[in-house]
Parts: sequence; C-alpha cells; structure tokens
Amino acid sequence: MKRLALLCAVLMIALGSGIAAAPVEVSLAYPVAVDAPITAMLKAWSQDYMAKNPDVKVTLIFSGGYPDVKTAIQTAIQGGAKPPTLAVMLATDVYDLVNAKFVDSLDDLVAQAPAGAAFVKDFLPAYMGNSYYKGKLWSVPFQRSAVVLYYNADLFAAAKLAPPKSWDELGKDAQALTVDGGKTRWGIEIPTENPYWTFQPLAIGAGKNVFSDDLTVNFNAPEVIDAVQFYLDLSQKYKATPPGVQASWGTSTQNFAAGKTAMIIHTTGSLAGILKTAKFKVGVMAVPGRKIGTLASVTGGGNLYLTAGHSLEERKAAFAFAQYLLDPARVAAFSQATGYIPHRSSATATAEFKAWMAQVPQAADAVAALASAQPELATQNLNGVKTIFNNYLQAAFNGTQSPTDAMNAAQNASNKTLADYR
Amino acid sequence: MREVGVTNRHRVLPYLLVAPTLVFVTAFTLLPLGESLVGSLFKHKLNIPRFQIPIYAGLGNYADLFKDPEFLQVVANTGIYVLALIPLLLVAALVLAFLLDGRIKGLAFFRLAVFHPTVLPLVSAATIWMFFLTPGYGLWNQLLHLFGYSGPQNWAGNPSLAIFALALVAFWKNVGFLMLFFLTGLQNLDHSLIEAARLDGAGGLRLVRGVILPLIRRQTLFVTTIAFIGAFQTVDHVFVLTQGGPSGTSTLPLYYLWQLRFERLDVGRGDAVTVLLILVLLAFTITNTLMSERHEN
Repeated sequence: MKRLALLCAVLMIALGSGIAAAPVEVSLAYPVAVDAPITAMLKAWSQDYMAKNPDVKVTLIFSGGYPDVKTAIQTAIQGGAKPPTLAVMLATDVYDLVNAKFVDSLDDLVAQAPAGAAFVKDFLPAYMGNSYYKGKLWSVPFQRSAVVLYYNADLFAAAKLAPPKSWDELGKDAQALTVDGGKTRWGIEIPTENPYWTFQPLAIGAGKNVFSDDLTVNFNAPEVIDAVQFYLDLSQKYKATPPGVQASWGTSTQNFAAGKTAMIIHTTGSLAGILKTAKFKVGVMAVPGRKIGTLASVTGGGNLYLTAGHSLEERKAAFAFAQYLLDPARVAAFSQATGYIPHRSSATATAEFKAWMAQVPQAADAVAALASAQPELATQNLNGVKTIFNNYLQAAFNGTQSPTDAMNAAQNASNKTLADYR
Repeated sequence: MREVGVTNRHRVLPYLLVAPTLVFVTAFTLLPLGESLVGSLFKHKLNIPRFQIPIYAGLGNYADLFKDPEFLQVVANTGIYVLALIPLLLVAALVLAFLLDGRIKGLAFFRLAVFHPTVLPLVSAATIWMFFLTPGYGLWNQLLHLFGYSGPQNWAGNPSLAIFALALVAFWKNVGFLMLFFLTGLQNLDHSLIEAARLDGAGGLRLVRGVILPLIRRQTLFVTTIAFIGAFQTVDHVFVLTQGGPSGTSTLPLYYLWQLRFERLDVGRGDAVTVLLILVLLAFTITNTLMSERHEN
C-alpha cells in the first residue's frame, strides 16, 4: 500500500512538473514554392529561437503555395482543429480572411508588447496598405515584392540601346532584340497564365490602377483597355513577344536567364535566382509607362497573419516569434537571399544591407521601383474577382474577344459578384 | 442446439465482415454526402457576414448554377474532356493488353514501360508534362514538328488546346493501369473456347468481337466505370498545367468545386456542385452496370 502511495506521488510530481515545463507551441505555415533558400533560413532561425527561448517550441509547416496555406488554415478551423499559429498568406487576402474569421487582430498584442507600436511603425507605408481592415491591424509584411522589368543589359549594350523610358521605346527595343521571329530570342516575355498581377503595371503605366477600393474595380476604364491593347501590340505590331497567353511563371525566368528572351516582366522575388543563373549583366527597373519618363510597378507578396482559435499565451508567444523573425537584421538577410524587398526602414539602414546594395546594384534598383508602385488588386471576394479578371484578360490576349468587349464583360461580372458585399 | 448456434453465427458473421467497410463508407461517404445535400439547399458564404449563418434557399443554388456561364462552361469542358479521353483510353488499353499478352521479345520491359506512369504521383506526372509542353522547345512540340505540325505551341495557354493537353496527360498516366485489367481478363480466358472458335473459322477481328470481348465483359465494365469516374476526378493536372485557363476553358468539375469552396468560400454552391457530381457518377455507374447485366442475361 505504501509502495502504491509512493508510486502515485512520484507519478503526480512527474506529471505536474511535466505540465509546468511544457513549452508553448508556436507553428508557422509557410508557402515554400519560391526559388530561394528560404527553408534553410527559417529552420536555422527557429532553432536559434528555441535555444534562446526554451519555453517555446516552434514547428515549421512548409506547404506548396499561398493557396495551399490558406486551404490548410481553413480546413483546420472548419474541421474543429487548431490551425498553425502563424501563417504567411497573401497580403491581399485580408478581406476574405477577416470576414471568414480565419485570422485574429494583432492590436492587443501590439499594445501589450514593450516595443509593439515602434515595431509596427517601422514597416514601409507602401506595404502596410493591406494590413488594416475595419480599423484593426491583421497582419504585418513578411515577404513583400514588386513587379519589375528585368532586361539583358549586355544585349542592350550590344545593340546600342538605352533602357526603355516609355511604352513606345519598350515595344521598339523589344522588336530590335527579337531574333528570327522569336525562334532564337523574343524581345520580351510576360507570364500571363495568371495575368492580373503582371498586367497591373501596364494599367498603372497607362494612368489607372485596375481597382480603387475593396468594392470598386476599374476593369473597363479607358486606360485599362489601352493597356490590354498595348499587350496585344507587343505581339501584333512589334512582333516582339509570343502571341496570346504566354509562357508560364517558371519558364519565363528560365528563358530570360538562358538568353531566350531579352526582357521579362516578373517579381523582385525572382532576383536572387536570376542573378545566380544568368551569365550576363542583368538590369532591373520599374516597367516603363505610356508617357515618356513615367514608370509603373505593383506591390505583391505575403504577410504574416495570426490565425484564429488560440489562447492568449499562444498568441503572445507567436507574436514574440514574429517579432524575432522580423528583426531588421533578419529582414535584411532574407532580402539578400531572396530578392524580396526589405519592408522595414530599419532593415534598409543596416550596414550589411547597404554594403550588399552597393555590391548588387540590381537590389537597389528593385527597391527604387517601389517608388512607382501601386497596390496589388485587393477586393472583397478576391478570388472570385481575380478569376473573372484573369479569364477576360486571357480572352482579350488570345483574341477571342476585343479588349473593349472583354473588359466591359469583366467589369459587369465583377460588379455582379461584388453586389453581395455592398 | 448446435445447429441454432451455427445459424446465428451465419447470421451475424456477414454483418461483422462488412462492418468495417460500412463504418468507413458511412463516415467518409454517406454522412458528408448527406451534409452536402442539406447544405446545397442553403445560401452560405463564409466571407460575407450576413450569409455566414446559412439561409434556406430551396433549389436556389442549383438554379443559380444553371444560369451561370462559368458553370455551363465547366459542363461543356467536362463533356469534351470525357469524349476525348475515355474512348481513346479504352481502345488503347485494350490494344496494349492484346499486344502485351502475346509472346514477344522483351515482354517484361514493354509491360514496365507501359505501366510505369501509373506509379508516378499525379503531380509529378503533370510536372513532367509541363516541361514536355513548354512552348518553343518542349519535347511534345518537337515531336509534332517531325510530323509536320506547325500550329500553336503553347498548349496550356491556348483556349482550343488546353483541355486536350489535360487529356493527353491523363491518357499517358492511366492507360497502363487500365491495360492491366484487360490483360488480367485476357490471361484468365478459357483458351479452349478460343481454339474452338478458331476451328470454326473465326479469326482476327471476328474472334475479338464475337468471342474475346464478350468473355472480358466484366473487365470492360469495371475499366469503363473507373475510367469515367477518374475523368471526373481530374484535378491535379489542372492545378499544375493550366489552373483552369485560359479563360476557364480547361476548368473541370473538381477544380471548379475547389475554387467555389476554398477560394470563394461559397459553401452552398460548392455543396450543390458536389451533389450534381455524385448524381452524374451514380447515374453512369448504375446505367453501365444494368446494361452490362442485361447483356449477360
């Protein structure tokens, strides 16, 4: 009997101490489908964080892309399970995520954290547009990018061409650099299998972004229709790009690095991969606008969200880990490794990042492109609106509808789908 | 007493044997199906606060679907995909089964060559084909070029070709798997019947049509059913190769369902598509089985 009592006591003490010592679990769902050594960096940082904070256990969950992470979060929440505490999802998904109650506001955590307000204030305003909704803070920038024009500077030099300053120059330069009707080399390629994002700089360059707010799209604005026509002109008038919907997102960077195309419109997130593989001098700039001397770009990328359904202790631990990941030195290191634009003022001010920008001028050019950037398409029912816009853009690109008809149809269908949200 | 025990055991045993399957089917098929059936009668959108609590809409979701050009395009795409893929798949699987049933040199190699795409994960198969179909220098275009093809190069981006690009990958991936069932049927045939038919003067196509095909009717029924259901389940290729584009010309039912349910958070309409999908598959399977049984009788 005594033995049994002793055993019970030992067990209870062991269990009690086990419970007391159980670390707070923080998990991070990350879309891994990018061409950069991000997984290794995140693993090293999470190990370092756990070594410094033994009361926290960090688990990294690598999923395919942004939609996969969102689907995983949604499935977990609706299935009654706990979703990963933190998730990197599209910054523009904020309306759907908040409306569906998949994410939690960060306001209380920012207020409670010693340097919370300063932490938030340090992010570049250009990247905070999608962080607020209904007067609350829902996410902070994590891996932010912009659409830029990459050009083969060696080919431009050999042809005695200067980087283009307008649509007309872009078309003529692309025409001059096209070889053998594109069989050997195209002048420019624009990935358009999911075209809204790479198209946006053309619309902005014409003078109008494709949306004004979460309930107003400008798909049939004359400037947007002109931008569709310019895309068509690149193949029909200048014969400088493949006709119709073009090569996919991945193959366009490969084509550029292999010298099969002289220019591409792509994300700054591909900078590191392109610089590693291209055997020529790579130029980076914002996309030329319609008028001479004007430039256009569009922001993009993922924000760090805190998902719904966690205890205050877990939320605090998650926010602390988020602050660790977004430490200026780490943001700068992340940018160097990937090409994502540093989104904190303090990160661009680090000596290491300044040295790197001096060493790799393309990184500085990518940051400079941000000055002419406008926000990525972000509306209520974003995926419904995106599908409509993509479908009609592709119809215009493939010539199954005229630019005006396609954009009018896109406007009408989007207005209809947004009606429920008014 | 002993007889009663045996009888009871015989009464209970079959139920015990099918119980695990029944539990599994109930939990993962019947209950979700019932839930979808009920859910399809409500307007329920997770990203609109006023529709987060389901509102009864009767058959409104179904009516909306049949008025929606996007859904009608999905129906048309599915028709083209099924008609392009299934007959070709069945004929090719049967022909390959005949060829690989014979005595040829390197039989094991050829069987492996035909069957190996089956063991590849769907996403890997689609990724391989994404490179084959790359405009300009992809292997597929190079091969077609040898036969004088000079048409559009970007199969995944062309509104007339994207659906056929998906069918092509599904064909390559599945033909070996379906061939296997025909091959099993051929190898289990009673060869005395075939010899008798030969003695009676039957040969070539007549032997195949009059004797072999009726004898492997069970395999044909099974292969047709799984090929048809498989065609409706195509989704991985769509994600990797076309994402339903261009302009929705390669959007197939499951991809559309995923868009509705997970991208647009439209639970009610997603449920309605689920119910329609199951009804179509059920109708096909029952009709196919009944026709085959009637033929047998």
